[in-house]
Amino acid sequence: MSAMEENDEDVTADAPIALEDVVDREALDDLCRSMYGLFDIGVRVYSSQGVLLANVAHELDVCRFVNETPGSRAACGQTVSAAKNVDPGESGEVQHTCFTGLAYRIVSLEHEGRRVGRIVLGPYAPDTLKEAAPALAQTDKRLDVVQANERLARVPRIGPVQIVRIGQHLKETLELIIFSSHKAWVTSKMHLYSVRESYRELQEKTVRLEQTLARLKEVDRLKSNFLATMSHELRTPLTSIIGYSEMLAEGIAGPLQGEQEEYVRTIHTKGEQLLRLIMGLLDLSKLESGTMSLRQAPSSISPILKEVMSTLTPVARKKEVELVLDDDAEVCELAADAERLRQVFINLVDNAVKFTPKGGRVSMIARVKDVPAARGDDDDDDDDGMIILVPMMKAVEVRVADTGIGIPASERTKVFDAFYQVDSSSTREYGGTGLGLSIVKRIIDAHGGTVRVEGNDPNGTVFVVTLPSAQTRRAALPSRVPPAPT
Amino acid sequence: MSGKTTNLKALHELTRQDSRGRLMTLETKDDRTLFFDMLPLVFKADSKDGAMNLRVKVFTVPGQVVHASTRKLVLQGADAVAFIADSQISETENNAASFLDLRENLKALGRSMRDVPCIIQFNKRDLTGVRTDLEIDDLALRGKEPVYKASAVHGRGVIESFFGLLEGAWRKLDTVHDLTEKLHIEPDAFLAKAAESLGYPGRWRELSDAHVGGQLKAGRR
Repeated sequence: MSAMEENDEDVTADAPIALEDVVDREALDDLCRSMYGLFDIGVRVYSSQGVLLANVAHELDVCRFVNETPGSRAACGQTVSAAKNVDPGESGEVQHTCFTGLAYRIVSLEHEGRRVGRIVLGPYAPDTLKEAAPALAQTDKRLDVVQANERLARVPRIGPVQIVRIGQHLKETLELIIFSSHKAWVTSKMHLYSVRESYRELQEKTVRLEQTLARLKEVDRLKSNFLATMSHELRTPLTSIIGYSEMLAEGIAGPLQGEQEEYVRTIHTKGEQLLRLIMGLLDLSKLESGTMSLRQAPSSISPILKEVMSTLTPVARKKEVELVLDDDAEVCELAADAERLRQVFINLVDNAVKFTPKGGRVSMIARVKDVPAARGDDDDDDDDGMIILVPMMKAVEVRVADTGIGIPASERTKVFDAFYQVDSSSTREYGGTGLGLSIVKRIIDAHGGTVRVEGNDPNGTVFVVTLPSAQTRRAALPSRVPPAPT
Repeated sequence: MSGKTTNLKALHELTRQDSRGRLMTLETKDDRTLFFDMLPLVFKADSKDGAMNLRVKVFTVPGQVVHASTRKLVLQGADAVAFIADSQISETENNAASFLDLRENLKALGRSMRDVPCIIQFNKRDLTGVRTDLEIDDLALRGKEPVYKASAVHGRGVIESFFGLLEGAWRKLDTVHDLTEKLHIEPDAFLAKAAESLGYPGRWRELSDAHVGGQLKAGRR
């Protein structure tokens, strides 16, 4: 109930309705009046609390006569009171006989299986009534029974079938009114709630947006400062070094002797290397601070891998390494930043080519797989609705395998650390900044995926990248990943 | 459009007359702000203190995305939930989205699926392009909810699903509020009587076992 306001009335709750709350008394009075007009029988409607909601009856001649004597008047009061309280029993309707021989028909009103009130019809004269009941004479000795009988004879007779039908008709009509009124009540409650809930959600979203805006502004300011520093203070002089060394090497400032040219080319190469390092550091810091925005959109792995393939085929060919792509073309929608994923696979494939000797082979194998049942992202709900969610829980697995020098098993978890080099000697054969794989890992992490290293028998390395499908990510983070456009 | 209302209508049809109330449909046709149905049912139970009426209200929720608040309101007091899934393979994604929505709504109400007994019904078994029975049996083994196969439009599987829901709700309420002790209602006797009220001609245990998968079964005997 945390999100609901505590005082919200729960329309799903099973509180009994009060007849006086849902029925319009004026309309009820009109209905009873028309019944009275049709059948000449008094109609009273009481709520289950005993509140008289409608009373349409004229005093019968015989009743007026009987009420003139005190003893009979008292008996009449008792009869009316009993009719108001008598239990209509299991069937919900009962006949209550008056001491005069007249009768009342009591019919209970029900809503959703509950008694919410009662209809009291009468008094009326059953068609079997010939003369006043013996009890009438006993109520008061002064009562003239002959005259009472004359008046009783003038009350219209009603048969048992007819009175039951009248009672049932009135009951059904009233219950329909109760149902409709209750329905209107639930509708209005629901509308009220919907509006209130929407307003509350909007308010919450506004607060969250304002907080996010403030945080983004601050992050943006820090990022701008950092980027300005990195770009200006480091990259500007470095760009000059690279530019001038390149011009020198090309002989623009005059011809260079063999050794001079070699030195200048070394300066240029190292300058380029330093620039890559700076760019890598920039990426890494952005990924670590969470300021690198991933432009996640519905995408597919195939075009990304094809692009990587076409970018690196010349490099592989130059090194005489065979580069192959094995994609079974099964479609699995990802919520991913295609540009960043391209960066990931270029890095992995470029590395693989670099560490694979001439005549070797680098392959990219892409497959769509089921995600194991335990997702581990959501404390309590891991196995909820698996039958519904499992068919949606797919992941793309891309294996980048080479036949190169391989990575010893003990080193495999460390290769994703920044600046880590398997060969850390000063005389190492392969260059690199040691940032590429840590950037790869952070990008994959940001996509909710995993990356690990396996050995490639008999030699070489396999990098296994697993990326959850957009659906799987929605299951884990429903609020963060937008649904695919329909 | 998985068949929630059709289920309720079928349930209304199949339930014995003295146990069912009037089916209430709340629909505002102008802007469709609200749309749900409610069916009141009454089950009789024998307790040591005499006969007792147990009143159950079955609600559907509006499926449309925009009706999140109505769904939440209906869910806030729910003692158990039946998730009606469309068996058509093409609806797999919509089923998943709806299930996640249910999970999120419960969370937003400070409840979790662990506290609310849930059954899953694969409806529309009569259509083409649906997951096979074998596939459903296999998938059901991976989840904890009892799974039912139904064709509500033909009234098939409706009583079974509802009975599973009722049994789940009753057993949960019994665990939380100790109804057996407090009301002196013997669960098996109650369920047997409820099966009769639902117009089921067979033995209630058959009805109770009419599901695949689910961990409910292991814990209730």
